[in-house]
Amino acid sequence: MLAMIKRNLLLYFRDWSGVFFSLLGALISFILYLIFLKQNMLTSWQRVPHARLLLDTWLIGGTLAITGITTTLTSLSLMVSDREKHVTSDLELTDAGPFRLFISYLCSATIIGTLMQVVMLVIMWGSFYLTDGVTFGSLTVGKVLGLMVVSALLATMVNAVIIYGVHAVNTLNKLGTIVGTAAGFLVGTYIPIGILPTFAQNLVKVVPGSYVAALYRQYLMADYLKTAFSGNRIARTHFERLMGVRLNWSTLLTHPETYHIMGLILIGATVLAFGPVWIRVRRQHQSIQER
Amino acid sequence: MLLETHHLTKRFGKRIAVNDLNLKIARGSFTALLGPNGAGKSTTMNMLIGLSQPTAGTVIYEHHSKIGVVFQGSVLDDCLTVRENLQIRAEQYHHIPADRVTILSQQLGLATFMQQRYVTLSGGQKRRVDIARALLNDPDILFLDEPTTGLDIQTRRAIWTLIQRLQRDRQLTVILTTHYLDEADAANHVVVIDHGCVLAQGTAAEIKDRYAADVLTVTTPDVDQLLGQVALQPTYQTGTQVTYSLATMQAALDILMTNRALISNFEFRPGTLDDAFLALTGKEMR
Repeated sequence: MLAMIKRNLLLYFRDWSGVFFSLLGALISFILYLIFLKQNMLTSWQRVPHARLLLDTWLIGGTLAITGITTTLTSLSLMVSDREKHVTSDLELTDAGPFRLFISYLCSATIIGTLMQVVMLVIMWGSFYLTDGVTFGSLTVGKVLGLMVVSALLATMVNAVIIYGVHAVNTLNKLGTIVGTAAGFLVGTYIPIGILPTFAQNLVKVVPGSYVAALYRQYLMADYLKTAFSGNRIARTHFERLMGVRLNWSTLLTHPETYHIMGLILIGATVLAFGPVWIRVRRQHQSIQER
Repeated sequence: MLLETHHLTKRFGKRIAVNDLNLKIARGSFTALLGPNGAGKSTTMNMLIGLSQPTAGTVIYEHHSKIGVVFQGSVLDDCLTVRENLQIRAEQYHHIPADRVTILSQQLGLATFMQQRYVTLSGGQKRRVDIARALLNDPDILFLDEPTTGLDIQTRRAIWTLIQRLQRDRQLTVILTTHYLDEADAANHVVVIDHGCVLAQGTAAEIKDRYAADVLTVTTPDVDQLLGQVALQPTYQTGTQVTYSLATMQAALDILMTNRALISNFEFRPGTLDDAFLALTGKEMR
Protein backbone atom coordinates (compact mmCIF):
# COMPACT_ATOMS: atom_id res chain seq x y z
CA MET A 1 0.00 0.00 0.00
CA LEU A 2 2.88 2.36 0.80
CA ALA A 3 4.23 1.82 -2.69
CA MET A 4 0.86 2.76 -4.18
CA ILE A 5 0.65 5.91 -2.05
CA LYS A 6 4.15 6.80 -3.21
CA ARG A 7 3.09 6.21 -6.81
CA ASN A 8 0.02 8.41 -6.49
CA LEU A 9 2.03 11.22 -4.89
CA LEU A 10 4.76 10.96 -7.55
CA LEU A 11 2.18 11.15 -10.33
CA TYR A 12 0.54 14.18 -8.71
CA PHE A 13 3.66 16.18 -8.00
CA ARG A 14 5.50 15.34 -11.26
CA ASP A 15 2.69 17.02 -13.17
CA TRP A 16 3.62 20.62 -12.35
CA SER A 17 0.89 22.21 -14.40
CA GLY A 18 -1.66 19.96 -12.69
CA VAL A 19 -0.43 21.07 -9.25
CA PHE A 20 -0.47 24.72 -10.32
CA PHE A 21 -4.00 24.65 -11.68
CA SER A 22 -5.27 22.70 -8.73
CA LEU A 23 -3.87 25.45 -6.46
CA LEU A 24 -5.17 28.15 -8.78
CA GLY A 25 -8.71 26.92 -8.19
CA ALA A 26 -8.28 27.83 -4.54
CA LEU A 27 -6.18 30.95 -5.19
CA ILE A 28 -9.00 32.39 -7.29
CA SER A 29 -11.15 33.17 -4.28
CA PHE A 30 -8.19 34.85 -2.64
CA ILE A 31 -7.41 36.95 -5.69
CA LEU A 32 -11.07 37.81 -6.30
CA TYR A 33 -11.39 38.94 -2.71
CA LEU A 34 -8.37 41.20 -2.99
CA ILE A 35 -9.48 42.76 -6.26
CA PHE A 36 -13.25 43.01 -5.92
CA LEU A 37 -14.56 42.35 -2.44
CA LYS A 38 -12.15 43.51 0.19
CA GLN A 39 -12.75 47.25 -0.11
CA ASN A 40 -16.48 46.82 -0.33
CA MET A 41 -16.71 44.64 2.75
CA LEU A 42 -14.37 46.88 4.70
CA THR A 43 -16.69 49.81 4.05
CA SER A 44 -19.66 47.96 5.49
CA TRP A 45 -17.68 46.91 8.57
CA GLN A 46 -15.84 50.17 9.17
CA ARG A 47 -17.32 50.62 12.64
CA VAL A 48 -15.87 47.32 13.86
CA PRO A 49 -12.36 47.71 15.26
CA HIS A 50 -9.69 45.63 13.47
CA ALA A 51 -12.18 45.01 10.63
CA ARG A 52 -9.33 44.55 8.19
CA LEU A 53 -7.69 41.78 10.23
CA LEU A 54 -11.04 40.08 10.87
CA LEU A 55 -11.86 40.01 7.18
CA ASP A 56 -8.38 38.76 6.21
CA THR A 57 -8.56 35.85 8.62
CA TRP A 58 -12.19 35.18 7.64
CA LEU A 59 -11.08 34.82 4.04
CA ILE A 60 -8.15 32.53 4.94
CA GLY A 61 -10.59 30.20 6.71
CA GLY A 62 -12.96 29.94 3.75
CA THR A 63 -10.18 29.57 1.21
CA LEU A 64 -8.51 26.76 3.15
CA ALA A 65 -11.81 24.86 3.14
CA ILE A 66 -12.09 25.32 -0.65
CA THR A 67 -8.47 24.21 -1.09
CA GLY A 68 -9.24 20.98 0.76
CA ILE A 69 -12.17 20.28 -1.54
CA THR A 70 -10.59 21.09 -4.91
CA THR A 71 -7.15 19.57 -4.37
CA THR A 72 -8.46 16.26 -3.03
CA LEU A 73 -10.81 16.08 -5.99
CA THR A 74 -7.93 16.63 -8.42
CA SER A 75 -5.93 13.97 -6.64
CA LEU A 76 -8.80 11.47 -6.71
CA SER A 77 -9.11 11.98 -10.46
CA LEU A 78 -6.19 9.54 -10.68
CA MET A 79 -8.59 6.85 -9.49
CA VAL A 80 -10.93 7.63 -12.39
CA SER A 81 -8.16 7.80 -14.98
CA ASP A 82 -6.74 4.50 -13.69
CA ARG A 83 -10.15 2.92 -14.13
CA GLU A 84 -10.52 4.40 -17.60
CA LYS A 85 -7.10 3.21 -18.78
CA HIS A 86 -7.56 -0.27 -17.23
CA VAL A 87 -4.69 0.38 -14.82
CA THR A 88 -7.09 -0.62 -12.05
CA SER A 89 -7.57 -4.02 -13.70
CA ASP A 90 -3.82 -4.52 -13.68
CA LEU A 91 -3.47 -3.39 -10.06
CA GLU A 92 -6.32 -5.59 -8.87
CA LEU A 93 -4.52 -8.66 -10.21
CA THR A 94 -1.79 -8.08 -7.63
CA ASP A 95 -1.95 -9.24 -4.02
CA ALA A 96 -2.97 -5.73 -2.94
CA GLY A 97 -6.65 -6.22 -3.70
CA PRO A 98 -9.36 -3.61 -4.27
CA PHE A 99 -9.67 -2.49 -0.64
CA ARG A 100 -6.07 -1.58 -0.08
CA LEU A 101 -5.98 -0.03 -3.51
CA PHE A 102 -8.95 2.18 -2.68
CA ILE A 103 -7.46 3.14 0.68
CA SER A 104 -4.20 4.10 -1.02
CA TYR A 105 -6.06 6.55 -3.27
CA LEU A 106 -7.81 8.01 -0.22
CA CYS A 107 -4.55 8.30 1.75
CA SER A 108 -2.69 10.03 -1.05
CA ALA A 109 -5.61 12.42 -1.63
CA THR A 110 -5.64 13.28 2.08
CA ILE A 111 -1.89 13.88 2.10
CA ILE A 112 -2.11 16.07 -1.00
CA GLY A 113 -5.11 17.96 0.39
CA THR A 114 -3.24 18.66 3.64
CA LEU A 115 -0.03 19.76 1.93
CA MET A 116 -1.86 22.06 -0.45
CA GLN A 117 -3.70 23.70 2.44
CA VAL A 118 -0.34 24.30 4.11
CA VAL A 119 0.95 25.91 0.90
CA MET A 120 -2.17 28.08 0.63
CA LEU A 121 -1.89 29.14 4.28
CA VAL A 122 1.71 30.17 3.73
CA ILE A 123 0.81 32.18 0.63
CA MET A 124 -2.19 33.94 2.21
CA TRP A 125 -0.66 34.51 5.61
CA GLY A 126 2.52 35.83 3.99
CA SER A 127 0.67 38.30 1.87
CA PHE A 128 -1.66 39.48 4.65
CA TYR A 129 1.27 39.76 7.01
CA LEU A 130 2.95 42.11 4.57
CA THR A 131 -0.13 44.20 3.81
CA ASP A 132 -2.11 44.20 7.08
CA GLY A 133 0.23 42.67 9.65
CA VAL A 134 -1.79 39.50 10.28
CA THR A 135 -0.12 37.19 12.81
CA PHE A 136 -1.09 33.94 14.54
CA GLY A 137 0.16 32.38 17.76
CA SER A 138 1.86 28.98 17.65
CA LEU A 139 -1.12 27.37 19.42
CA THR A 140 -3.48 28.62 16.70
CA VAL A 141 -1.13 27.38 13.97
CA GLY A 142 -0.98 23.98 15.67
CA LYS A 143 -4.77 23.71 15.83
CA VAL A 144 -5.09 24.85 12.22
CA LEU A 145 -2.57 22.25 11.05
CA GLY A 146 -4.58 19.56 12.84
CA LEU A 147 -7.78 20.82 11.26
CA MET A 148 -6.10 20.68 7.84
CA VAL A 149 -5.77 16.91 8.16
CA VAL A 150 -9.39 16.56 9.25
CA SER A 151 -10.52 18.89 6.46
CA ALA A 152 -8.56 16.94 3.83
CA LEU A 153 -9.87 13.60 5.12
CA LEU A 154 -13.47 14.78 5.13
CA ALA A 155 -13.20 16.33 1.65
CA THR A 156 -11.55 13.15 0.34
CA MET A 157 -14.33 10.92 1.64
CA VAL A 158 -17.12 13.15 0.37
CA ASN A 159 -15.41 13.51 -3.03
CA ALA A 160 -14.87 9.75 -3.20
CA VAL A 161 -18.63 9.29 -2.85
CA ILE A 162 -19.35 11.97 -5.46
CA ILE A 163 -17.02 10.49 -8.08
CA TYR A 164 -18.13 6.91 -7.51
CA GLY A 165 -20.34 6.92 -10.61
CA VAL A 166 -17.83 8.82 -12.81
CA HIS A 167 -16.00 6.58 -15.27
CA ALA A 168 -14.41 9.07 -17.66
CA VAL A 169 -11.73 11.65 -16.91
CA ASN A 170 -13.47 14.01 -19.30
CA THR A 171 -16.64 13.92 -17.20
CA LEU A 172 -14.61 14.35 -14.04
CA ASN A 173 -12.92 17.46 -15.41
CA LYS A 174 -16.31 19.01 -16.03
CA LEU A 175 -17.41 18.00 -12.55
CA GLY A 176 -14.20 19.55 -11.20
CA THR A 177 -15.01 22.85 -12.89
CA ILE A 178 -18.50 22.83 -11.38
CA VAL A 179 -17.22 21.95 -7.90
CA GLY A 180 -14.46 24.54 -8.12
CA THR A 181 -16.91 27.26 -9.13
CA ALA A 182 -19.63 26.30 -6.68
CA ALA A 183 -17.37 25.62 -3.68
CA GLY A 184 -16.65 29.30 -3.07
CA PHE A 185 -20.34 30.03 -2.73
CA LEU A 186 -21.31 26.79 -1.02
CA VAL A 187 -18.90 27.16 1.88
CA GLY A 188 -19.72 30.88 2.14
CA THR A 189 -16.32 32.23 1.09
CA TYR A 190 -17.31 34.68 -1.63
CA ILE A 191 -20.40 36.01 0.09
CA PRO A 192 -21.01 35.81 3.86
CA ILE A 193 -23.68 33.25 4.67
CA GLY A 194 -25.69 35.79 6.70
CA ILE A 195 -26.65 37.95 3.74
CA LEU A 196 -27.77 34.99 1.58
CA PRO A 197 -31.48 34.16 1.16
CA THR A 198 -32.85 31.41 3.43
CA PHE A 199 -32.71 28.67 0.80
CA ALA A 200 -29.08 29.43 0.02
CA GLN A 201 -28.27 29.48 3.74
CA ASN A 202 -29.77 26.01 4.10
CA LEU A 203 -27.81 24.86 1.07
CA VAL A 204 -24.59 26.08 2.67
CA LYS A 205 -25.46 24.17 5.81
CA VAL A 206 -25.71 20.82 4.00
CA VAL A 207 -22.25 21.21 2.48
CA PRO A 208 -19.62 19.52 4.70
CA GLY A 209 -17.00 22.12 3.74
CA SER A 210 -19.03 24.84 5.46
CA TYR A 211 -18.37 23.26 8.86
CA VAL A 212 -14.68 23.04 8.05
CA ALA A 213 -14.68 26.72 7.05
CA ALA A 214 -16.51 27.62 10.27
CA LEU A 215 -13.94 25.78 12.39
CA TYR A 216 -11.04 27.42 10.55
CA ARG A 217 -12.61 30.82 11.22
CA GLN A 218 -13.11 29.99 14.88
CA TYR A 219 -9.41 29.18 15.22
CA LEU A 220 -7.98 31.89 13.01
CA MET A 221 -10.25 34.75 14.10
CA ALA A 222 -10.38 33.93 17.83
CA ASP A 223 -7.86 36.49 19.00
CA TYR A 224 -9.09 39.24 16.71
CA LEU A 225 -12.74 38.60 17.66
CA LYS A 226 -11.85 38.92 21.31
CA THR A 227 -10.25 42.33 20.87
CA ALA A 228 -12.81 43.57 18.34
CA PHE A 229 -15.88 42.72 20.41
CA SER A 230 -14.46 42.94 23.93
CA GLY A 231 -17.45 42.40 26.16
CA ASN A 232 -20.06 43.09 23.52
CA ARG A 233 -21.54 39.59 23.20
CA ILE A 234 -24.59 40.55 21.17
CA ALA A 235 -22.56 42.26 18.51
CA ARG A 236 -20.14 39.35 18.44
CA THR A 237 -22.89 36.75 18.06
CA HIS A 238 -24.42 38.79 15.27
CA PHE A 239 -21.07 38.99 13.50
CA GLU A 240 -20.41 35.27 13.93
CA ARG A 241 -23.79 34.35 12.50
CA LEU A 242 -23.50 36.77 9.61
CA MET A 243 -19.99 35.71 8.61
CA GLY A 244 -20.44 31.97 9.15
CA VAL A 245 -17.91 31.79 11.97
CA ARG A 246 -20.49 29.65 13.70
CA LEU A 247 -23.28 28.04 11.73
CA ASN A 248 -26.84 28.44 12.88
CA TRP A 249 -29.03 25.37 13.34
CA SER A 250 -31.66 26.13 15.98
CA THR A 251 -29.02 28.05 17.88
CA LEU A 252 -25.47 28.91 16.91
CA LEU A 253 -23.38 25.71 16.93
CA THR A 254 -20.65 25.52 19.51
CA HIS A 255 -17.17 24.35 18.66
CA PRO A 256 -17.69 20.74 19.87
CA GLU A 257 -21.09 20.54 18.16
CA THR A 258 -19.50 21.52 14.86
CA TYR A 259 -16.90 18.76 15.31
CA HIS A 260 -19.65 16.25 16.10
CA ILE A 261 -21.53 17.08 12.93
CA MET A 262 -18.33 16.73 10.91
CA GLY A 263 -17.64 13.40 12.58
CA LEU A 264 -21.07 12.12 11.61
CA ILE A 265 -20.65 13.31 8.01
CA LEU A 266 -17.26 11.60 7.91
CA ILE A 267 -18.71 8.30 9.13
CA GLY A 268 -21.59 8.51 6.66
CA ALA A 269 -19.28 9.31 3.74
CA THR A 270 -16.91 6.49 4.73
CA VAL A 271 -19.75 3.97 4.70
CA LEU A 272 -21.01 5.25 1.34
CA ALA A 273 -17.51 5.28 -0.17
CA PHE A 274 -16.53 1.78 0.96
CA GLY A 275 -19.92 0.14 0.36
CA PRO A 276 -19.61 -0.26 -3.43
CA VAL A 277 -16.02 -1.56 -3.15
CA TRP A 278 -17.13 -4.12 -0.59
CA ILE A 279 -20.03 -5.32 -2.77
CA ARG A 280 -17.76 -5.65 -5.79
CA VAL A 281 -15.15 -7.65 -3.86
CA ARG A 282 -17.81 -10.05 -2.63
CA ARG A 283 -19.11 -10.65 -6.14
CA GLN A 284 -15.66 -11.13 -7.62
CA HIS A 285 -14.71 -13.89 -5.20
CA GLN A 286 -17.42 -16.14 -6.53
CA SER A 287 -16.32 -16.35 -10.16
CA ILE A 288 -12.97 -18.20 -10.22
CA GLN A 289 -12.50 -21.53 -8.52
CA GLU A 290 -9.40 -23.49 -7.66
CA ARG A 291 -8.98 -27.18 -7.61
CA MET B 1 -5.08 -29.34 -16.65
CA LEU B 2 -3.77 -26.01 -15.42
CA LEU B 3 -6.94 -24.22 -16.49
CA GLU B 4 -10.36 -25.41 -17.59
CA THR B 5 -13.57 -23.67 -18.44
CA HIS B 6 -16.96 -25.33 -18.32
CA HIS B 7 -19.81 -23.88 -20.38
CA LEU B 8 -18.43 -20.38 -19.97
CA THR B 9 -21.03 -17.87 -21.13
CA LYS B 10 -21.20 -14.09 -21.09
CA ARG B 11 -24.19 -12.02 -22.14
CA PHE B 12 -24.39 -8.25 -22.41
CA GLY B 13 -28.13 -7.66 -22.38
CA LYS B 14 -29.47 -9.70 -25.25
CA ARG B 15 -26.15 -10.01 -27.06
CA ILE B 16 -24.17 -13.15 -26.40
CA ALA B 17 -20.46 -12.32 -26.33
CA VAL B 18 -19.22 -15.77 -25.32
CA ASN B 19 -21.38 -18.83 -25.80
CA ASP B 20 -20.78 -22.10 -23.93
CA LEU B 21 -17.00 -22.07 -24.15
CA ASN B 22 -15.16 -25.19 -23.03
CA LEU B 23 -11.39 -24.95 -22.90
CA LYS B 24 -8.68 -27.17 -21.51
CA ILE B 25 -5.25 -25.61 -21.12
CA ALA B 26 -2.37 -27.97 -20.28
CA ARG B 27 0.65 -26.81 -18.29
CA GLY B 28 3.44 -25.55 -20.53
CA SER B 29 1.20 -25.29 -23.58
CA PHE B 30 0.93 -22.36 -25.97
CA THR B 31 -2.64 -21.48 -26.93
CA ALA B 32 -3.72 -18.88 -29.47
CA LEU B 33 -7.24 -17.51 -29.42
CA LEU B 34 -8.01 -16.40 -32.96
CA GLY B 35 -11.01 -14.48 -34.15
CA PRO B 36 -12.12 -11.39 -36.06
CA ASN B 37 -12.93 -8.11 -34.28
CA GLY B 38 -15.79 -8.54 -31.84
CA ALA B 39 -15.53 -12.33 -31.83
CA GLY B 40 -15.38 -12.48 -28.03
CA LYS B 41 -11.62 -12.93 -27.54
CA SER B 42 -11.07 -10.14 -25.04
CA THR B 43 -14.29 -10.96 -23.17
CA THR B 44 -13.07 -14.54 -22.82
CA MET B 45 -9.68 -13.34 -21.63
CA ASN B 46 -11.27 -11.04 -19.03
CA MET B 47 -13.31 -13.90 -17.62
CA LEU B 48 -10.27 -16.19 -17.51
CA ILE B 49 -8.28 -13.66 -15.48
CA GLY B 50 -11.23 -12.87 -13.21
CA LEU B 51 -11.81 -9.26 -14.23
CA SER B 52 -15.24 -9.96 -15.62
CA GLN B 53 -17.98 -12.17 -14.19
CA PRO B 54 -19.36 -14.92 -16.43
CA THR B 55 -23.15 -14.97 -16.84
CA ALA B 56 -22.95 -18.75 -16.56
CA GLY B 57 -20.28 -21.43 -16.37
CA THR B 58 -17.07 -21.74 -14.40
CA VAL B 59 -13.34 -21.12 -14.68
CA ILE B 60 -11.23 -23.61 -12.75
CA TYR B 61 -7.53 -23.20 -12.05
CA GLU B 62 -5.11 -25.68 -10.58
CA HIS B 63 -4.49 -24.86 -6.92
CA HIS B 64 -2.21 -21.86 -6.26
CA SER B 65 -1.79 -20.93 -9.90
CA LYS B 66 -0.26 -17.51 -10.42
CA ILE B 67 -1.26 -15.48 -13.43
CA GLY B 68 0.43 -12.68 -15.35
CA VAL B 69 -1.32 -10.49 -17.89
CA VAL B 70 -0.07 -8.28 -20.72
CA PHE B 71 -2.99 -6.02 -21.53
CA GLN B 72 -3.80 -4.73 -24.98
CA GLY B 73 -3.21 -1.13 -23.99
CA SER B 74 -0.43 0.07 -21.78
CA VAL B 75 -1.17 0.04 -18.05
CA LEU B 76 2.06 1.54 -16.76
CA ASP B 77 2.56 5.17 -15.78
CA ASP B 78 3.97 7.52 -18.41
CA CYS B 79 5.63 9.94 -16.00
CA LEU B 80 7.42 7.28 -13.99
CA THR B 81 10.68 5.65 -15.02
CA VAL B 82 10.78 2.00 -16.04
CA ARG B 83 12.41 1.08 -12.73
CA GLU B 84 9.87 3.03 -10.68
CA ASN B 85 7.00 1.43 -12.59
CA LEU B 86 8.30 -2.10 -12.10
CA GLN B 87 9.40 -1.56 -8.50
CA ILE B 88 6.04 -0.11 -7.46
CA ARG B 89 4.15 -2.98 -9.07
CA ALA B 90 6.54 -5.52 -7.53
CA GLU B 91 5.79 -4.14 -4.08
CA GLN B 92 2.09 -4.87 -4.61
CA TYR B 93 2.87 -8.60 -4.37
CA HIS B 94 3.81 -10.62 -1.32
CA HIS B 95 6.97 -12.72 -1.42
CA ILE B 96 8.73 -11.16 -4.38
CA PRO B 97 12.53 -11.24 -3.97
CA ALA B 98 14.12 -7.80 -3.70
CA ASP B 99 16.29 -8.32 -6.79
CA ARG B 100 13.39 -9.47 -8.99
CA VAL B 101 13.17 -6.22 -10.99
CA THR B 102 16.90 -6.13 -11.64
CA ILE B 103 17.00 -9.78 -12.74
CA LEU B 104 14.01 -9.36 -15.06
CA SER B 105 15.46 -6.19 -16.53
CA GLN B 106 18.61 -8.11 -17.46
CA GLN B 107 16.76 -11.13 -18.83
CA LEU B 108 14.47 -9.01 -21.00
CA GLY B 109 17.12 -6.53 -22.07
CA LEU B 110 15.70 -3.46 -20.34
CA ALA B 111 18.89 -2.46 -18.55
CA THR B 112 19.79 0.40 -20.92
CA PHE B 113 16.53 2.28 -20.39
CA MET B 114 15.61 1.49 -16.79
CA GLN B 115 16.05 5.14 -15.78
CA GLN B 116 14.02 6.52 -18.66
CA ARG B 117 10.44 7.61 -18.23
CA TYR B 118 8.02 5.10 -19.72
CA VAL B 119 6.51 7.72 -22.05
CA THR B 120 9.85 8.24 -23.83
CA LEU B 121 10.23 4.57 -24.85
CA SER B 122 9.62 3.16 -28.33
CA GLY B 123 6.67 0.83 -28.95
CA GLY B 124 8.83 -2.27 -28.76
CA GLN B 125 10.60 -1.16 -25.58
CA LYS B 126 7.25 -0.43 -23.94
CA ARG B 127 5.97 -3.89 -24.78
CA ARG B 128 9.08 -5.50 -23.30
CA VAL B 129 8.53 -3.53 -20.10
CA ASP B 130 4.85 -4.59 -20.11
CA ILE B 131 5.94 -8.22 -20.40
CA ALA B 132 8.47 -7.75 -17.59
CA ARG B 133 5.66 -6.32 -15.45
CA ALA B 134 3.52 -9.40 -16.17
CA LEU B 135 6.38 -11.69 -15.12
CA LEU B 136 7.03 -9.96 -11.77
CA ASN B 137 5.17 -12.56 -9.72
CA ASP B 138 6.78 -15.46 -11.63
CA PRO B 139 3.44 -16.61 -13.07
CA ASP B 140 2.49 -20.14 -14.09
CA ILE B 141 0.32 -18.83 -16.87
CA LEU B 142 0.85 -15.72 -18.98
CA PHE B 143 -2.04 -14.07 -20.83
CA LEU B 144 -1.27 -11.71 -23.70
CA ASP B 145 -4.06 -9.68 -25.30
CA GLU B 146 -2.90 -8.80 -28.82
CA PRO B 147 0.66 -8.19 -27.69
CA THR B 148 2.06 -7.15 -31.07
CA THR B 149 -0.75 -5.02 -32.50
CA GLY B 150 0.55 -1.73 -33.88
CA LEU B 151 4.22 -2.73 -33.86
CA ASP B 152 6.48 -2.83 -36.93
CA ILE B 153 7.53 -6.18 -38.32
CA GLN B 154 11.01 -6.17 -36.75
CA THR B 155 9.61 -5.39 -33.33
CA ARG B 156 6.85 -7.96 -33.74
CA ARG B 157 9.47 -10.62 -34.52
CA ALA B 158 11.56 -9.61 -31.51
CA ILE B 159 8.59 -9.67 -29.12
CA TRP B 160 7.49 -12.94 -30.60
CA THR B 161 10.91 -14.55 -30.14
CA LEU B 162 10.94 -13.30 -26.55
CA ILE B 163 7.55 -14.87 -25.77
CA GLN B 164 8.56 -18.19 -27.31
CA ARG B 165 11.83 -18.18 -25.39
CA LEU B 166 9.99 -17.51 -22.14
CA GLN B 167 7.59 -20.33 -22.82
CA ARG B 168 10.42 -22.75 -23.59
CA ASP B 169 12.85 -21.76 -20.83
CA ARG B 170 10.39 -21.33 -17.98
CA GLN B 171 7.85 -23.95 -18.99
CA LEU B 172 5.42 -21.07 -18.96
CA THR B 173 1.86 -21.66 -20.09
CA VAL B 174 0.94 -18.99 -22.62
CA ILE B 175 -2.48 -17.91 -23.84
CA LEU B 176 -2.65 -15.12 -26.35
CA THR B 177 -5.18 -13.45 -28.57
CA THR B 178 -4.02 -12.18 -31.92
CA HIS B 179 -5.07 -10.95 -35.32
CA TYR B 180 -1.82 -12.07 -36.87
CA LEU B 181 -2.28 -15.60 -38.09
CA ASP B 182 1.40 -16.23 -38.64
CA GLU B 183 1.81 -15.85 -34.88
CA ALA B 184 -0.85 -18.46 -34.21
CA ASP B 185 1.04 -20.81 -36.54
CA ALA B 186 3.66 -21.33 -33.86
CA ALA B 187 1.13 -22.21 -31.17
CA ASN B 188 0.55 -25.81 -30.24
CA HIS B 189 -3.13 -25.19 -29.68
CA VAL B 190 -5.22 -22.87 -31.82
CA VAL B 191 -8.79 -21.97 -30.93
CA VAL B 192 -10.80 -20.15 -33.58
CA ILE B 193 -13.64 -18.14 -32.06
CA ASP B 194 -16.41 -16.18 -33.72
CA HIS B 195 -19.66 -14.77 -32.35
CA GLY B 196 -18.64 -16.17 -28.99
CA CYS B 197 -18.52 -19.79 -30.20
CA VAL B 198 -15.55 -22.06 -30.82
CA LEU B 199 -15.53 -22.82 -34.54
CA ALA B 200 -12.47 -25.05 -34.54
CA GLN B 201 -9.63 -26.07 -32.29
CA GLY B 202 -6.50 -28.15 -32.62
CA THR B 203 -2.93 -27.65 -33.73
CA ALA B 204 -2.31 -25.12 -36.48
CA ALA B 205 -1.50 -28.01 -38.86
CA GLU B 206 -4.74 -29.82 -38.07
CA ILE B 207 -6.81 -26.72 -38.64
CA LYS B 208 -5.08 -25.95 -41.92
CA ASP B 209 -5.56 -29.57 -43.03
CA ARG B 210 -9.23 -29.53 -42.28
CA TYR B 211 -10.31 -26.08 -43.29
CA ALA B 212 -7.76 -24.62 -45.69
CA ALA B 213 -7.74 -25.65 -49.35
CA ASP B 214 -4.46 -25.74 -51.31
CA VAL B 215 -4.19 -23.25 -54.14
CA LEU B 216 -2.86 -24.03 -57.61
CA THR B 217 -2.30 -21.22 -60.10
CA VAL B 218 -1.48 -22.28 -63.66
CA THR B 219 -0.14 -20.03 -66.43
CA THR B 220 -1.12 -21.14 -69.93
CA PRO B 221 -1.11 -19.68 -73.48
CA ASP B 222 -4.56 -21.25 -74.10
CA VAL B 223 -6.89 -20.67 -71.16
CA ASP B 224 -10.02 -21.97 -72.94
CA GLN B 225 -8.48 -25.31 -73.81
CA LEU B 226 -7.24 -25.82 -70.26
CA LEU B 227 -10.67 -24.98 -68.84
CA GLY B 228 -12.14 -27.60 -71.19
CA GLN B 229 -9.66 -30.28 -70.07
CA VAL B 230 -10.09 -29.84 -66.31
CA ALA B 231 -13.43 -30.85 -64.85
CA LEU B 232 -13.01 -28.59 -61.77
CA GLN B 233 -14.51 -25.08 -61.56
CA PRO B 234 -11.70 -22.49 -61.23
CA THR B 235 -11.89 -19.96 -58.38
CA TYR B 236 -10.28 -17.20 -60.45
CA GLN B 237 -9.14 -16.65 -64.02
CA THR B 238 -7.42 -14.02 -66.19
CA GLY B 239 -6.36 -13.99 -69.86
CA THR B 240 -3.31 -16.15 -69.11
CA GLN B 241 -3.88 -17.67 -65.67
CA VAL B 242 -6.32 -20.04 -63.99
CA THR B 243 -6.53 -20.61 -60.22
CA TYR B 244 -7.97 -23.74 -58.60
CA SER B 245 -8.77 -24.42 -54.98
CA LEU B 246 -7.95 -28.06 -54.19
CA ALA B 247 -8.51 -30.37 -51.28
CA THR B 248 -5.22 -32.23 -51.62
CA MET B 249 -1.80 -31.86 -53.13
CA GLN B 250 -2.48 -35.03 -55.21
CA ALA B 251 -5.28 -33.28 -57.08
CA ALA B 252 -2.82 -30.54 -58.05
CA LEU B 253 -0.32 -33.10 -59.30
CA ASP B 254 -3.04 -34.76 -61.42
CA ILE B 255 -3.91 -31.48 -63.14
CA LEU B 256 -0.27 -30.65 -63.76
CA MET B 257 0.60 -34.11 -65.12
CA THR B 258 -2.33 -34.53 -67.49
CA ASN B 259 -2.03 -31.01 -68.94
CA ARG B 260 1.75 -30.56 -68.92
CA ALA B 261 1.82 -29.63 -72.64
CA LEU B 262 -0.59 -26.75 -72.03
CA ILE B 263 1.22 -25.31 -69.00
CA SER B 264 3.96 -22.68 -69.33
CA ASN B 265 4.32 -22.10 -65.55
CA PHE B 266 2.57 -22.81 -62.24
CA GLU B 267 2.53 -21.93 -58.59
CA PHE B 268 1.37 -24.25 -55.82
CA ARG B 269 0.63 -22.88 -52.33
CA PRO B 270 -0.47 -25.13 -49.46
CA GLY B 271 -3.45 -23.84 -47.49
CA THR B 272 -2.51 -21.29 -44.83
CA LEU B 273 -4.11 -20.45 -41.52
CA ASP B 274 -5.43 -17.31 -43.24
CA ASP B 275 -7.38 -19.51 -45.68
CA ALA B 276 -8.72 -21.65 -42.85
CA PHE B 277 -9.65 -18.56 -40.89
CA LEU B 278 -11.53 -17.01 -43.80
CA ALA B 279 -13.24 -20.31 -44.56
CA LEU B 280 -14.38 -20.51 -40.94
CA THR B 281 -15.35 -16.93 -40.22
CA GLY B 282 -16.48 -15.68 -43.62
CA LYS B 283 -15.15 -12.82 -45.70
CA GLU B 284 -17.33 -9.92 -44.70
CA MET B 285 -15.82 -7.11 -42.62
CA ARG B 286 -16.94 -6.39 -39.09
